[in-house]
Amino acid sequence: MSQIRNPLPNRIKLIWGISAIGSLLVLLIVTGLFWLAQTYWNWAAWLTVTMLVIAIGEPIVETALIPYRYRFTRYMISDTAVEMQAGFIFKKRVAIPIARVQNVTLNAGPLLQWQKLSKVTVATASTTHTIEGLELAIAEQLRDQIMQLAREARHDQN
Amino acid sequence: MTKTKRTHPLGLLDHLAKSVKNWWPLLLIILAQNQSWWGKLLIPAAILIFVIWPLISWWSISYRITPTALEFHSGILVRHHEHIPYARIQTVQRKQWFYLAPFHLEEVSVETASHEDGKPEVRLAAVTPDVAALIDRYRQAANAIPTDNSTATSAEPVATPPVQATYALTSRSKWQFILTSTGFIPILLVALGIYGKLPHDLIERLGSDLAHFSVLLLIGGALVIALGAWLFTAVMLLIRYYRFRATRTNDQIQVAKGLFQRNTITVPLQRIQAIRFKQTIFRQWIAIQTTQLLLASRAAAEDNNDDLVLLPAVTQQQSYADLHPFVDWTPTTAPDLTALSVTNGRRWLLVRNALLIALVPVAIATWLWPTWNALFDIVLIIAFGQGLFAANNTGGSLVNHHLLVLQTGHWWTRETYLVPLAKIQSVRLRQSIWMKRTHLMHLTVNVRHGNNNQAIALRYLTAQQAESIYDWYRMNAN
Repeated sequence: MSQIRNPLPNRIKLIWGISAIGSLLVLLIVTGLFWLAQTYWNWAAWLTVTMLVIAIGEPIVETALIPYRYRFTRYMISDTAVEMQAGFIFKKRVAIPIARVQNVTLNAGPLLQWQKLSKVTVATASTTHTIEGLELAIAEQLRDQIMQLAREARHDQN
Repeated sequence: MTKTKRTHPLGLLDHLAKSVKNWWPLLLIILAQNQSWWGKLLIPAAILIFVIWPLISWWSISYRITPTALEFHSGILVRHHEHIPYARIQTVQRKQWFYLAPFHLEEVSVETASHEDGKPEVRLAAVTPDVAALIDRYRQAANAIPTDNSTATSAEPVATPPVQATYALTSRSKWQFILTSTGFIPILLVALGIYGKLPHDLIERLGSDLAHFSVLLLIGGALVIALGAWLFTAVMLLIRYYRFRATRTNDQIQVAKGLFQRNTITVPLQRIQAIRFKQTIFRQWIAIQTTQLLLASRAAAEDNNDDLVLLPAVTQQQSYADLHPFVDWTPTTAPDLTALSVTNGRRWLLVRNALLIALVPVAIATWLWPTWNALFDIVLIIAFGQGLFAANNTGGSLVNHHLLVLQTGHWWTRETYLVPLAKIQSVRLRQSIWMKRTHLMHLTVNVRHGNNNQAIALRYLTAQQAESIYDWYRMNAN
C-alpha cells in the first residue's frame, strides 16, 4: 500500500494527550469507588488492585502510542475523492468518492474547539467514515465542496 | 385522484390485528379473571385498545396522489405528513391477503432510500388496485424524462408497456429449489436444543429395561425432528413461492408470489444496488442457483435478509443468459473470475484461519466433556473444509469499465455479486503487518443493502490484485 500524504494537524497529539489524562482521572475515580466498596462492604481487595493497575496502565499505553497513532493516521482530500488510512499492525485504507457522499458532519467537543479543530464524519448511502481531527478551514472546505456537488444535482444515484 | 382519501373500511382489520398483536396478554388476563372485580375493571381498557384505538388510527390515515408527489398523513396525537416525490421512490410493494381478494383490495407500501425506522414511509392497509397503478404511472413518467420537465407532467394516457422478459418457476426447478433449501437448519438446531433437555427424565420413566434402547431412541427422535423441520420449511416455501412470477416492463421489474398473501414488489431498474447469485453447497451439487436483487429498501425483508429473489432456481450455466433480459448491464455469459482468485499457498491461509476460529471452542468443549471428543473433531474437519471452500470460491474480475464481479464462499454458500461502479459506496483495503511482508491484502467493497451496508470482502488477495480494484474505483467513481 502506498502512503497517503497528509498527516492530521500536529495539535491533535496534544488533544490525545489530554484525553489520556482524562481517562486516567475517570479510571482513578472508579478505582476510588472500588476502594470504598472494599472498606465498607468488604469487597475483595484484588478487585481494587486490578482496577488500580488498569487505571495507571491504560493511560500510559494510550500516551505511549500517540506518536505511532499520529504517524500512521493519514487522510487525503482531492477533487474527486476522500481517502483515509489508519493503523500500523492492521493497516486500513479506504476510498470514498465525493460523488457518493450523502452528508458531511463536523463535530467538535470543547477540546477540539479550543484548538480550532473539528472531527469530520463522511457518510455514504451505506457506510460512515471519520477523520479524527482536521483544521476547521479544511473541514469547512470539504463540506462546501460536497455541498457544491450536491447542488449540481446529478441524476439521483440511489 | 387528487382528493385526499381514506383507506377502505376493511383496513380496520389491519389496525385491529396490530392491536391484538401488541396487547393479546390483556385479552388472556380478562378471560382468566372474568370473575374478579379487577378483571372487570380492565374491560373498558380493552374496549379502548381493541375498538376505539383501531378506529381512530384508521380514521387518522389519509393519502393523496398528486401528479408531483405522493402525500401521506397519519398519527393521532402527533400528526405526520409525508410528501414523497415520485423520483425518490425505491420500491412499491403490494400485498393482498386472501380475505381482501374478493373485495379487490390490497395493501400498498412505498419506500424511499431514507434510513429512518425499519418501516416503509407509506403504508395503506386497504386500497383499490388503481392506487398502485396510478403511483406506478406517475413514477415511470418521473423517472423516464429526467431533463425535460414539460413532458414529465403529462403522464395520464400511457399505453400498457410491452413485457420484455418473464420468468415463472417450472415444477422441476421449483422442487429442486424447495428440496435443497437449508432454511430448516436453524429450526432444527433450536428443536434439537429443546429435545436435548427432554430425554433424561423421559427415559428414566420408561424404566431400566429400555435403558439400552436409549441411544436408539435418541437418534430416532432426532431424525423425526429433522424430518419435521425440513417438511415445515418445504411447506412454508411452497406457500411463499406459490405462482412465482417475475416480469420486466420498460425500466422496471415486478416480482409476484405467495398463496395466502399475494406479494407484488415493483422496482425500477436504476434502483438495483447489486445482483447476487447465491448457491449453497447442496445446490452446487445439482448446479442450480438463486438470483437476488440487492435493494436500498426493506420491501423484501421477509424474503431473505432483504434480498428480492428474482429467479429462485436457475441452472448454473443459464444464470447469466436468464438474467440479462431483466437487467441490461449484466453480461450474457459467465465471466472469467480468475483475476481475483486465491491460489496455491494462499489457500492455506484461509484454512488456517478457519481452523484457528474453531480450535478454541473445540478445545474448551473437549476439556469439559471428554466423552464427546469424536463429535468435536468433526467440527474441526468441517472448519478445514470451510477454509478450503472459501479459498476455492474466492474470485472476481472487472468485466467492463463499469461492472465489477466478486465471488465469495462463506458458510458453505457461494455468492457471486455483480456490482455496478455507480453503486459502490466505498472501497477499503486492509493489510496486517505480516501480510506486508508477503504482499497480501484484503479487499472490501461496500454497497447499500436494505437499510444497511453489505460489505463484500475478498480475503488474502495479492496486493497487486486488491490495489488494481482500489485504483480503478478511485479513478473512475466520479
